[in-house]
Amino acid sequence: MAKYVLPGERRRHEYQDQRERWLQKLPQMSRRDFFRTAAQAAAAATVAWKGFPPHSFQLINVAEAKETAPKFTIAYISDSHILDKGMNHRFIRACQKAAQDVNALDPQPDFVLFGGDLAQLGKPEELAIGQGILKTLKAPVRMMVGEHDWYLDMGEKWREMFGEPTYSFDHKGVHFIVLNSVIVEDYWTAPKMTPMQRMLAMAQLDNPNGRPFTVGEAQRDWLKKDLAKVDKKTPIIVFSHSPLYKYYRPWNFWTDDAEQVQQILAPFSSVTVIHAHTHQPLTNRINNITFHGVLSTAWPWPYAPQGLPPLTVQMVRADPFNQFDGCGWGTVTALDNGQVNKRYNLWDRNPMDVTWDDVSAGKKWVAQTDAQLKGNVSWPSY
Amino acid sequence: MTQWGRSVMIFVTLALGGSLAALAAGGDAPRHQLPAAADGQSKVVGLCDGKTSVTVTGVAPGERMDATKAREVATELMDKYDATLQVAHGGTEHTSRELRVWEAETKRVIDDGYKLFHSPEIGTNGISCDMCHPDASNTHPETYPKFQTQLKKVALLRDMINWCIENPLEGPKLADGDDKMKALEAYILSTRKGVPLDPGKH
Amino acid sequence: MQKGKSLLVSMLGAVVLHLPQGVLEPEIPKQNPLTPAKVELGRRLYFDKRLSADGTLSCATCHDPLKGFADGRPVAIGIKNQAGARNSPTVLYAGFNEVQFWDGRAPTLEEQAKQPLINPVEMGQPSHEAVVKAVVALPEYGDGFNVAFGSRDVTIERIAEAIASFERTLAPFASPFDRFLAGDKQAISDNAQRGFTLFQGKARCVTCHEFTTSFPYFTDNKFHNIGVAMKGNFEQLARAAQSVAGKGAVTQESELAHKPGFEALGRWIVTRQPKDIGAFKTSGLRNIALTAPYMHDGSLKTLEEVMDFYNKGGEPNPNLDGGIRPLNLTKDEVADVIAFMQSLSDDNGGTNFDWEQLKELSRKTRAGEIVTAPAP
Repeated sequence: MAKYVLPGERRRHEYQDQRERWLQKLPQMSRRDFFRTAAQAAAAATVAWKGFPPHSFQLINVAEAKETAPKFTIAYISDSHILDKGMNHRFIRACQKAAQDVNALDPQPDFVLFGGDLAQLGKPEELAIGQGILKTLKAPVRMMVGEHDWYLDMGEKWREMFGEPTYSFDHKGVHFIVLNSVIVEDYWTAPKMTPMQRMLAMAQLDNPNGRPFTVGEAQRDWLKKDLAKVDKKTPIIVFSHSPLYKYYRPWNFWTDDAEQVQQILAPFSSVTVIHAHTHQPLTNRINNITFHGVLSTAWPWPYAPQGLPPLTVQMVRADPFNQFDGCGWGTVTALDNGQVNKRYNLWDRNPMDVTWDDVSAGKKWVAQTDAQLKGNVSWPSY
Repeated sequence: MTQWGRSVMIFVTLALGGSLAALAAGGDAPRHQLPAAADGQSKVVGLCDGKTSVTVTGVAPGERMDATKAREVATELMDKYDATLQVAHGGTEHTSRELRVWEAETKRVIDDGYKLFHSPEIGTNGISCDMCHPDASNTHPETYPKFQTQLKKVALLRDMINWCIENPLEGPKLADGDDKMKALEAYILSTRKGVPLDPGKH
Repeated sequence: MQKGKSLLVSMLGAVVLHLPQGVLEPEIPKQNPLTPAKVELGRRLYFDKRLSADGTLSCATCHDPLKGFADGRPVAIGIKNQAGARNSPTVLYAGFNEVQFWDGRAPTLEEQAKQPLINPVEMGQPSHEAVVKAVVALPEYGDGFNVAFGSRDVTIERIAEAIASFERTLAPFASPFDRFLAGDKQAISDNAQRGFTLFQGKARCVTCHEFTTSFPYFTDNKFHNIGVAMKGNFEQLARAAQSVAGKGAVTQESELAHKPGFEALGRWIVTRQPKDIGAFKTSGLRNIALTAPYMHDGSLKTLEEVMDFYNKGGEPNPNLDGGIRPLNLTKDEVADVIAFMQSLSDDNGGTNFDWEQLKELSRKTRAGEIVTAPAP
């Protein structure tokens, strides 16, 4: 029997009033003003405006078996694709909305993963705006890079702002690995493409001349060395922008050396990959590895015509009248048994859970709606 | 049967018996290179156009057909010939120049549509159509006209294109007859070649 | 003038519900087919103050024909001058709604009619039995029930069915806009015509305030959070509401809908889904100029205030419907949309009903007779 465990009391309206006034002023605000008030908003956010929005209601299944008891939770915000077109731009507002939703969680997640594609065109201004928004998060933030962040200047600005894209760390007994899995073979030097031309080519998802994402030999070697020190029973969670498996090549929902990466991870008993780039709920399991996609805050991609992993519960296609439909953020809850439960907090929709029980049972159409349960919806709708 | 048809029939009948050379007005006539029969053992009969042929199952090469069978074969050849004939308006064939020009023009409009579809300049907020519709997926042009829930009325593809330009892309809609709209429609439709029409499908 | 088919024609040729060409019939529950006798009985009950606990309030008190079948107040004032928490919606065209109340907690007009009778801040009766007793004590109703239902028995179901039947006929389709739709291009001003175009275009109204020939009431019958009254302390309320046992129990929903503070939960009260907090049913727009003030709590006083509210992008809150965004309408465009909305008012405030003829018709109909026929 599921019951809602409601977070703490809201104490005052102060944060909300401040935020409202701030939002009203946004259209006229210069970037400098924005960052100044963003800092204020971060401070104000610590005033306990807890428990809202609705996605912060933590649904706890009290009848869960002991092995799948939750250990800790992290949140993610991803694929914000920020454009520098005025502070009222919907991508900026969506990223802020996600940050506010995460800040309203009680209890707070252990950390927040940013899943890549912070900027849309890799421009320093875009990255700066994104960084400003992420700075308003109360929880610590771990960054992961996407191709939109990288290919204007080959990651120079990213490294300056956020450090090396490839790293690992341990947290509460789980070994976390963050990869730069958007390495592609150089196709821009020979035709003498300008940096922006290169960026625009990488930015077009359906680019017929695109090259597949890879992790690459250097990182695979790094990964082998990093994992050499890790016990095979330690749960591993890998953060990767590209999926680390092969879904749909024409849209680069693909990692070309996926098998080799999976091979390196094969000896470990519990491995989860949390990947971005696909802007849609996505679930896969290959041997010992579970793969979960994350939502974008900016826009949803449709499901590809082929290659969709059968474990995936598809979200119903978005309504373009609603600028936040099909978008959102989410959480990953690490379990005692080393696996994870995944939650998709879709805006304007009910949250969607994909639990370890679902994955291990190979359960497919975990119902998102009653209509699905009754089989009244024919899938896919694309 | 038309006068022309009768002539062809006679030609075919004669061709069965002997070589084409017997009918040529002197000199070397082009030989119709007949394809082999699919089953390896049936007779193949060729038409005077040098391209069309028919396999006559149950009849061996060199075997003579009776009148009824021969007429059947001739009719089949003629039907096949009519189907492959490109006749221009007015009764003359299309020239290869015309065909090349048409293909180039169509391709150009489709390519223009492709560029617009992938361009952030149609709207004012940097969003382009391919963000929600990579490779024009999810556009379903074959389902129009249909009741479009965002418009709350029955719409054509172009109505929805304009709605998307105004709403998610926050741009000015395209005027009736604007070439840009034609190009966008051309590109979107070109991605659904061969998909059966299904107007009204939600 | 109205053309089209009649839903209900008696053998005397009088008309009870008249629909213009192409308009779909309302969905009427099978157990309550529309008959003139029920409509007439319902009309009498609708206006009868003796159905309330102290004899001061009838349906018509808050749904007054002279006030667009609403009451002109921000929230309703019920028995002993108690204020409720919700704005009274108009009954005109309510028979075409998929569900009733701002939070959609009543699936039919019949179910809706039962609630105000026993609401402690509305008509104040202690129970439905008390209502039945009150009606039984009025001998003049015996014949009415007999003719309408085939026996003199009074039940709450029958009371509700009669009132609902009457309400279903409150659909005049007699506005300037209706005449414009029927072909009279002079029926509404140029401003209003431009407003109609904006309504379907730049102003982004039509997607929620759905208008089609088949269903011309300007509502999608869905629930949206546009940010009105974001004063609620939601999670505290949700926790308190959660402690109330039994999701969907009608009394609890009705209570919550009127508890100050709780009522801001809106559709959540029915579905208990967090995404529905603060979401309310899209109001229809026919006669909107007659039914100020606006929104579920009457907090917007004029159509200008409503337009400004939407033009700025509603009220920011975490649950704000993603379809709401600033519209950037100019002052002239706003005025045009308002002019359009004003053209949606039925002639004579929607009171053009020949109730004398209805009484006559009802008297001449045999008990329980159901008479339906399409117009020639």
